[in-house]
Amino acid sequence: MSTTIAVPGQLLGATTDFLPGPGTHIHASSIHASILGPISRTVPPKPAGPSKRLTKITKATPEPLPTISIDRDISEGHGQGKREIIPEVSSVVLCKVTRITPRQANVNILVVGESVLDGDWQGLIRVQDVRATEKDKVKIFESFRPGDVVRAAVISLGDQSNYYLSTARNNLGVIMATSESGNAMYPVSWKEYRDPETGANEWRKVAKPF
Amino acid sequence: MFVLPGEPLEPATLPSHSTIPLKLGPGLLHIPPNTITPTVAGLLRTDKRKNAVWVEFNGGRYVPTTGDLVIATIQRSSVDVFYASISDYTPNATLPQLSFEGATKKTRPQLAFGALVYSRVSLANKHMDPELECVSSSTGKSEGLGPLTGGLVFNISLGMSRRLMLAKPGEQGGLVILDELGEQGAAFEIAVGRNGRVWVDSKSLKGTLAIGKAIQDIDEKSLKVDEQKKLARKVAREI
Repeated sequence: MSTTIAVPGQLLGATTDFLPGPGTHIHASSIHASILGPISRTVPPKPAGPSKRLTKITKATPEPLPTISIDRDISEGHGQGKREIIPEVSSVVLCKVTRITPRQANVNILVVGESVLDGDWQGLIRVQDVRATEKDKVKIFESFRPGDVVRAAVISLGDQSNYYLSTARNNLGVIMATSESGNAMYPVSWKEYRDPETGANEWRKVAKPF
Repeated sequence: MFVLPGEPLEPATLPSHSTIPLKLGPGLLHIPPNTITPTVAGLLRTDKRKNAVWVEFNGGRYVPTTGDLVIATIQRSSVDVFYASISDYTPNATLPQLSFEGATKKTRPQLAFGALVYSRVSLANKHMDPELECVSSSTGKSEGLGPLTGGLVFNISLGMSRRLMLAKPGEQGGLVILDELGEQGAAFEIAVGRNGRVWVDSKSLKGTLAIGKAIQDIDEKSLKVDEQKKLARKVAREI
């Protein structure tokens, strides 16, 4: 099967000939590519022929259409057939807080599941998604600080620039934090981290370690 | 005692108390376990009763701190929050529209661009823009905070605004101008913001300008007590 590269927006086929797969979309009853990548067509299994009975002729089941899709193929150095991992809804990710405002915390998503991400994915944790209880009393400054490493779950694929994340479970929240004096801190409760050198406590939304 | 940044401090210069732990004020940094160093140049001051030590310095940059009273200028308003400027070189601080005395969702204060507000800093840290409030969060009463109508605002140095806000400006800060003006019979209202602003309102525009200019003169020329008294008499004659 020839692997030609399609560019975003390229016409791939008609909806009467193919089923759209990942990496494609339908526009005016034809299938177009959504991303840059090689085109791959799946050949569907041939259905069984119409069963012949002496007294009745049954209609042939309609032949299923082949699926056309674009592979999210990353560079050859990552091995054959390896697809690019991207965050999906309800996947647990590790991210680093870049900015806090009174209404949300902006993060860089670094790890999805077990694999380190290649690209630059941004997420945001809104103030109502930080905790499961007492959502209106949450203060972002007492939950996250810039530089914290946070375990969060993806709740929505969001808009063009951000995934929406949530830390509203016991095992989600800050897993590594640095104090204002620059030392690594250890957790003491679900809302406090302590600096071993200065003895000062700082407020965070702490993830349960086990 | 004059100190420079990074200078090691002898333990003998620090006050000691049998029960209260040592409290570090602005301008000092604690490096565990035993080092206390100044981070700015200024005069080291101690208070034996409260067991506190701090550095008095006249900086040019106001750094917002929680609990400070400031005079903020409204820049714009959004859905439920005002954006107010407390200094020219920092981003605008947010002031919730509901944090005024007697404000509800139906009756919000109407403040236009340029309106002045006497408010308290409720949240200030290096990671976020500061937040203000015009009502005491514990009692729900304004306690002197809120919009300032009429009058004029003047820029003064941070050291001057701190001296004006002392409990006893005459004894502790060498400032007698306000008491002298009162004694000479001038009628005026004044509000001092720690961000280097002072608001003055008097019966006439001439009086407001004279008082404001007098405070700025004392600040710029570092006038002594007797020079301040002479200035107060001159201003009171003009009003």
